[in-house]
Amino acid sequence: MPDSQVIELLLVEDNPQDLELALRALRKADLANRLHVSRDGAEALEFVFGTGPFAGRHVAEELKVILLDLKLPKVDGLEVLRRLKADPRTRVIPVVVLTSSREQRDVAESYALGVNSYIVKPVNFERYTEAVRELGVYWLLRNQPAKVEE
Amino acid sequence: MPPDDLQLKATLKEVGDLKAALDEHAIVAITDPQGRITYVNDKFCAISQYAREELLGQDHRIINSGHHPKEFIRDIWTTIGHGRVWKGEIKNRAKDGSFYWVDTTIVPFLNEHGKPRQYVAIRADITSRKLAEEKLRTSTKEVLDLKAALDEHAIVAITDSRGKITFVNDKFCAISKYSREELIGQDHRIINSTFHPKEFIRGLWTTIGQGRVWHGEIKNRAKDGSFYWVDTTIVPFLSDDGKPRQYIAIRADITERKKAEEAVHQMNAELEKRVAERTAQLETANRELEAFSYSVSHDLRAPLRAVDGFSQAVVEDFGTLLPEEGRRQLQTIRYSAQRMGSLIDDLLTFSRLSRQALAKRPIDTGVLVRTVLHELGSPWPDRHIQVRTAGLPPNRGDPALLKQVWINLLSNALKYTRKRDPAIIEIGCEQRPDGPVYYVRDNGTGFDMKYADKLFGVFQRLHRMEDYEGTGVGLATVQRIIHRHGGRVWAEAAVDQGAAFFFTLETEAPNHA
Repeated sequence: MPDSQVIELLLVEDNPQDLELALRALRKADLANRLHVSRDGAEALEFVFGTGPFAGRHVAEELKVILLDLKLPKVDGLEVLRRLKADPRTRVIPVVVLTSSREQRDVAESYALGVNSYIVKPVNFERYTEAVRELGVYWLLRNQPAKVEE
Repeated sequence: MPPDDLQLKATLKEVGDLKAALDEHAIVAITDPQGRITYVNDKFCAISQYAREELLGQDHRIINSGHHPKEFIRDIWTTIGHGRVWKGEIKNRAKDGSFYWVDTTIVPFLNEHGKPRQYVAIRADITSRKLAEEKLRTSTKEVLDLKAALDEHAIVAITDSRGKITFVNDKFCAISKYSREELIGQDHRIINSTFHPKEFIRGLWTTIGQGRVWHGEIKNRAKDGSFYWVDTTIVPFLSDDGKPRQYIAIRADITERKKAEEAVHQMNAELEKRVAERTAQLETANRELEAFSYSVSHDLRAPLRAVDGFSQAVVEDFGTLLPEEGRRQLQTIRYSAQRMGSLIDDLLTFSRLSRQALAKRPIDTGVLVRTVLHELGSPWPDRHIQVRTAGLPPNRGDPALLKQVWINLLSNALKYTRKRDPAIIEIGCEQRPDGPVYYVRDNGTGFDMKYADKLFGVFQRLHRMEDYEGTGVGLATVQRIIHRHGGRVWAEAAVDQGAAFFFTLETEAPNHA
């Protein structure tokens, strides 16, 4: 991972097929350049908070959006969301839950924890691609991020 | 006058005075040796209510009451016949039939041969004393009868003011299994079961100590350690200073009743326990069901997405290398994956219906139906559809769920009238005795009523996929929602004659708060 390149988008996804499809959709939308992928919740937190293998990385640096699956190994998505929204340094980073689960309790819990958007992955690939493209365009290109006071 | 005469005169005077005094005081009669009355004084006449003329010459049988046995009468005559004085109490009968008692002394006066020449009977009226005695005897007997009856019926104990047992009846001994000797002098702690709290015993003593009657149910312990229940009444008896001098406790054995009560109580407890266990099982089952549907929601859709996504990727990346037939087959794979996704989604929605709590509110059915029609694409510019809406009265229900009912019924009507020109959809409500019946009627393809029982089953379809798409969950969902609202849903149809769906909602009694 080139240090020189600033990471704007964090994709947290453990399912390899879903990951490949997500990357395919992001590439189609030309959003896959400044991207980091975490394969479990623990690694995602290490990346965001600059700990473990990511020691030295500046917390929350230039991260414009986090795409977060809910069902993750080690630390699950809701817990990742809870920790991100509990810390003033990471609270302002938009988090989009991108999940297979359309269970009402997951939706409610995510919004209660302060998620910025909740998207159920459609089975239909065209619609999936469209959803990823739209959220990428919105959060990476249109959204004006908050400045973190440090 | 000679001195003897004078003395005689004085003596006669004295006798006369004595007689007068006696007549004043006593009932006097004189009879001859045969028992015939030769003299009665006024008091005799007064008490017997006979005139002197009626009495003289009669014997005493005229006032015989019949109360005394023959031996008693014979004894009188034997005694006085032998010249001895007889004393005793005699019950006589007056002329009007009433009785009177006289304390009687009969003195025989003898002739020179030592035989009685007459009898003087002096009597005193003791009727009132005798009546009192008789009354006392009667009431004493009554009391004894009552006591005997009570002893037959109840468990009785008497304790003194300090609570020491002074009397127990046989039934007390029988139920407590103690002998009378073991109980007398003890207090009731000897049969204390320790079942009752101290406050209970204290309350009992406070009540009777204040001279009030205590009533309650007590569990006691017999000598052999077994327990018995007694329904108990304790009555305090007060001395002149108002302090209880003794307590009489009357008890009835209610052990059997208590056992029955305990059995019922235990059965209830057992039942409640089983209900709680069953509820816990159901809750567990419900949680498992939820976990299952969560897993279906999440885990089953991911591979479907891969099937669809990678099929599309093949078309995109290698489409030019594939023959037309290969591309068609990939499209079929994608179509099947997407259809399975729809089936999973519908099934999850359907299963969620039974778990989700109803949030009932007043609903303006007319507005709801217009909203649904709009969402379904009304007025359908590319089709010729007539929607006829009649009066739709408001109701109460869960707005989101009832909206789902209307969506499913109306989208079915739209779908199955696809080949009609014009399609006619009637929406309305009939007032029936058991409440409003809402309906959706169409002139579509209809169905054969012999399959009507399959209509509301999950995944049951009456049409081929090529003709009318669908997952077969819509009407099952409608039925579940209507049932959860306490209503009914049914259909009437004929092949190519259209179909009509009817439903009711629970009619709730108006709330007069």
